Amino acid sequence: MSSDDQYKNVIKQEMAKLKKPVKLKVFTSKGIAQDGRLIQACMDCGEFMNLLRIYEENSNGMLTIEELSIDENPKFAQEYDIQRVPTILFIDNEGREIIRYLAAPRGQEIQPFVQALFAFAGAPNYYQATIKQNIGRINPSTIKVMITNTCPYCPQMVSIANLFAIAGNGKIRTVIVDISANLDIGQYYDAAGVPYTIVNDQKAISGLVGPDVVLRSLIGGNIRVQY
Amino acid sequence: MFNIESGIPDPNKIYDVIILGGGPTALGAAIYAARFALDLLVIGKTFGGLIASTHIVENYPGITSVSGPELMDMFRDHINSLNIPYITDEITSIEKEENFFVLKSYFMSFKAYTIIIATGSERKKLNVPGEEEFTGRGVSYCATCDGMFFKDKKLAVIGGSDSAAKEALFLSQHASEVYIIYRGDDIRAEPINKKRVNENDKIKIINHINIVEIKGNKSVSSVIFDNGNEFDVDGVFIEVGSIPQSQIAIDIGVKANKKKEIIINRKSETNIPGIYAAGDVADAPFKQAITGVSEGVIAAYSVFDYLKLIKKK
Repeated sequence: MSSDDQYKNVIKQEMAKLKKPVKLKVFTSKGIAQDGRLIQACMDCGEFMNLLRIYEENSNGMLTIEELSIDENPKFAQEYDIQRVPTILFIDNEGREIIRYLAAPRGQEIQPFVQALFAFAGAPNYYQATIKQNIGRINPSTIKVMITNTCPYCPQMVSIANLFAIAGNGKIRTVIVDISANLDIGQYYDAAGVPYTIVNDQKAISGLVGPDVVLRSLIGGNIRVQY
Repeated sequence: MFNIESGIPDPNKIYDVIILGGGPTALGAAIYAARFALDLLVIGKTFGGLIASTHIVENYPGITSVSGPELMDMFRDHINSLNIPYITDEITSIEKEENFFVLKSYFMSFKAYTIIIATGSERKKLNVPGEEEFTGRGVSYCATCDGMFFKDKKLAVIGGSDSAAKEALFLSQHASEVYIIYRGDDIRAEPINKKRVNENDKIKIINHINIVEIKGNKSVSSVIFDNGNEFDVDGVFIEVGSIPQSQIAIDIGVKANKKKEIIINRKSETNIPGIYAAGDVADAPFKQAITGVSEGVIAAYSVFDYLKLIKKK
């Protein structure tokens, strides 16, 4: 079995367990070919959408992926500040962006992506209670996690950041960036190692750290715990 | 982290065993604990452990050659197939209460009759000026994570172990030159890896030298040797050994040796009944994934035996 087939099987197995509906928006760019057909205008968008359709097709109808072309939906793209394609958005019921993916959820990144889908659909979130206890001490925050698809420790950092955002009730937003596909973003943040996490464009965390370190950087102090 | 269906652990339940760690030792113990039908939970900080960052593993029976990340995938598939609950967290304290232990993290409190400590070890720092400042900007502890950022660059690997040799071999796939900088006479790599290093035109060894400073501006530009010479490099990969993650056990009275490795017997028992240890955190002289798995499996069996005793009481 090729590694591609193996990963497809993982997606199939995991997505079959999704029991609650969840919707994602994916921004791509489309153009009109000479024969009049609508085609993907961005180089990666076709392959990216094919990957996401595997998730959707194996979810028993629970996952709906809405593909939006920035050319056809400029107002919406502007509203959500879509600066590059493809971009995946997890938007909550109140229209707030919770998670943004500038990365393809393939290979090692399948697990944290599936986990985010489940938690976003309402599955139990391990970090929820502690985030809730401390939410009053967290200012509206963005956690940017720089990854590559060959980094063995990145999926765990992505998982922590995503689950924090989902537990954050709109106060925490996560942006997952594959810096091998978005070199300029990596260069902007001087990232020469992954995972590399930027909290509110200020605090850089190099490497994999525990969830307590991420929470402390959001709070700017000690974690309040009540068991 | 995984096993979405397993939900959130119940803080009021007393688990048969809580296994601390995310590497092969912990997961080997978990697989056997599951096979013994024990009620278990695995709490790990780093899924896959240090071996997940190894670029090639070729000393495990049945697996001719596999990358660390691929092996990690295999671990994940295996524990998922047995519905073993795994969460990403770090325990900060352990207390004994009646016939069980209470384990606390910043996120939850847990109870268990027994604990297997398989927390492994963490990479040692070089502790020189510039190391912390340039971490993530040219200083790295993981070649598989960061090697791709150094295409056609000149790199230094600090250390003379087998791991250092493997890091250098992996980095040579990306870099233009790789210098193994080692304070000793001859690198201590396994003969097979030493031969590969010697045959690799991109790798050179500089011995009898210590690094005393890492310099740079926006990112690493050079290292300073203890003879005062400055050596230009674009990146520094540090592989100077590891420190056992045993403090949590020592704090509750588990005995450790001078290296802070937990002292265990052939049953993976510690001096405290109900607490077991295995793998890199324990005091075995030869530390490999395969020997760690063995100790983890023995720990799971010892837990199984111990539970029969205490549950009779």
